[in-house]
Amino acid sequence: MSHLVIDELRVDVGGREVLKGLSLEMSSGEVHVIMGPNGSGKSTLAHALAGHPGYRVTGGRVSVDGVDILELAPSERVSAGLFLALQHPLDVPGVRLVDALVSAGATGDVRARMSDEASRVDLRDELLDRFINVDLSGGERKRAEMVQFGVLQPRFAILDEIDSGLDVDALGAVARRLALSTTEWGCGVLAITHFRRLLHELTPNVIHVVSAGRVVATGGPELAEQLEAEGYEPFSTLER
Amino acid sequence: MTFLDQARNRVRASGNPEQSRALESFEARGLPTTSDEVWRYAPLSTLSLDNYSVAAGPVPPSASTARELAGRASLVIRVHNGEVISVEGSPSGVEVTQRPAHFDERFAHDSFSQLALAMSPGVVEVVVAPGTVLEGPVLIDSTVSAGASFPLLRVVVGARSELSVVENLSGEAGALVVPLAEYVVEESATLRLGTYQDLAPDAWHVARTLATVGRDATVSQAVISLGAFYNRSRNDADLVAPGASNELRTTYLGRGHQVHDYRTRPFPGASRTTSVLLSKGAVAGESRSIYTGLIEIEKGAKKTDARQTNHNLLLSPHAHADSVPNLDIRENDVVCAHASSVGPLDELQRWYLESRGVPRSEAERLMIQGFLYEMVAALPGGVAAVIEQSLAKELVDVVSVR
Repeated sequence: MSHLVIDELRVDVGGREVLKGLSLEMSSGEVHVIMGPNGSGKSTLAHALAGHPGYRVTGGRVSVDGVDILELAPSERVSAGLFLALQHPLDVPGVRLVDALVSAGATGDVRARMSDEASRVDLRDELLDRFINVDLSGGERKRAEMVQFGVLQPRFAILDEIDSGLDVDALGAVARRLALSTTEWGCGVLAITHFRRLLHELTPNVIHVVSAGRVVATGGPELAEQLEAEGYEPFSTLER
Repeated sequence: MTFLDQARNRVRASGNPEQSRALESFEARGLPTTSDEVWRYAPLSTLSLDNYSVAAGPVPPSASTARELAGRASLVIRVHNGEVISVEGSPSGVEVTQRPAHFDERFAHDSFSQLALAMSPGVVEVVVAPGTVLEGPVLIDSTVSAGASFPLLRVVVGARSELSVVENLSGEAGALVVPLAEYVVEESATLRLGTYQDLAPDAWHVARTLATVGRDATVSQAVISLGAFYNRSRNDADLVAPGASNELRTTYLGRGHQVHDYRTRPFPGASRTTSVLLSKGAVAGESRSIYTGLIEIEKGAKKTDARQTNHNLLLSPHAHADSVPNLDIRENDVVCAHASSVGPLDELQRWYLESRGVPRSEAERLMIQGFLYEMVAALPGGVAAVIEQSLAKELVDVVSVR
């Protein structure tokens, strides 16, 4: 059983404090969902955890099984068990995904495993041989992130709006892949989303509402229904 | 004994009046100096011919790349210090000989070329009969010993023939290598060339090539340079008849205090000619690259299509890349373009790979390899995979010292 602990995390972006002491905890096999209005700090959390150079951690602690991952280089965070699927995956001309995954330490017949993962999220296999994300549509890039996720099998995966840009069928396939990972290798899934429809096939254990850089409410699936009915407004008053 | 004393003895012994003439021409000019604009970036103050004797060591084993390439070649010409050692394979329509060097007026203003013509053991000549199509490439596996060597090469591709030539140049430390190559591509013929230079890190390599391209003929030339302390590569093409075209791809990887100095001068001397120049390289440490292309288009060279592009990757704040594409156009009915860029690796792309679990040095290696990919991919058939593998190994060293 693994544990991800985010404790009072503070992050600056461009000299402005965006995360103001965000805390949450989760364990292997759980599905947690972060919801919150635009600008509340959801994507900042994802990027800061993955060590994006534009995000400066100014306080707090993040650990996976007691290892402080904020001390680690971005690639070492992946080795420690943390993987980020991006909202806007970048393209890397000249570099093939199979070479990157082998360099990342993926084992076995990596290309065959990529094919297997691609078929689970309905990504055309020939796209895997292109340079990373080059000439892929937004939806195809999201599915390619899921291929990486499936090959790397992280202990915890943070998915930054994996649902945006996906059609209904693809969304269902991605949600089912994520749900299966929780039993397949006990993955802990932390999904950032605006939309409840992801939750139709990916049943969350816990929902966190983020507002103004902090978790302002934590609850069960019923919280999503409340958000759907009332919007974020009632929660925005909780931060003070 | 000074180098020139050795040179005079050697030329006298050859009994070849053409080589005497070339040596006289060299002695009248002497080595160039950095006050000459085209030699501005060459560390000529550190070059003294008297530090060299004429290369004469035993034949070493082939480089690993050459050994791998040999398996894919239809003809392997083993050359050491400019001399043909062996020829393996005998495809029909191809003849390999070594002939005495002769004075060439076209290189009369180039000191190093004069020296090469004077000192060479002879021109390695590959002549392909008209209408010959060769499946695998011709490999010229060329090595040099310590000292000065002057390999001359002449390739003649007869009308309607198709030929690929791959040259692998490697050698001992302490070498000064001055290759001079001429490529004659006759009507409707195609010549694909690949040169892989991986000399020792202290070598001087001052190379010059000249392609003469006939009516509707094509020469496609790739030059990849990893080795040498000073690497100069001047690659010219005379497009002498309508429909002639040349493509030149130059690639370099600079380390330490290396200087890669590329000069190119395609000359569209007829109508409907095409010239595409693409140069891409990466410079690390305190190395430097220079790219200078001059496309001169004469009045009357109508429908000329000439493009030159130079992209440089700066892998260290102490590395330099100078990019100087020039166009001199005296005809209106032409299409010309040039572009150049100099910049570091993209930080966000690197982070993206790192965030997939790829360690930083590996991410950089993959990105540099990716930057150079299109250059390697354009090599003649079967050669790309061998060169890509060799390049990947070299890049491991480059990124580990960053």
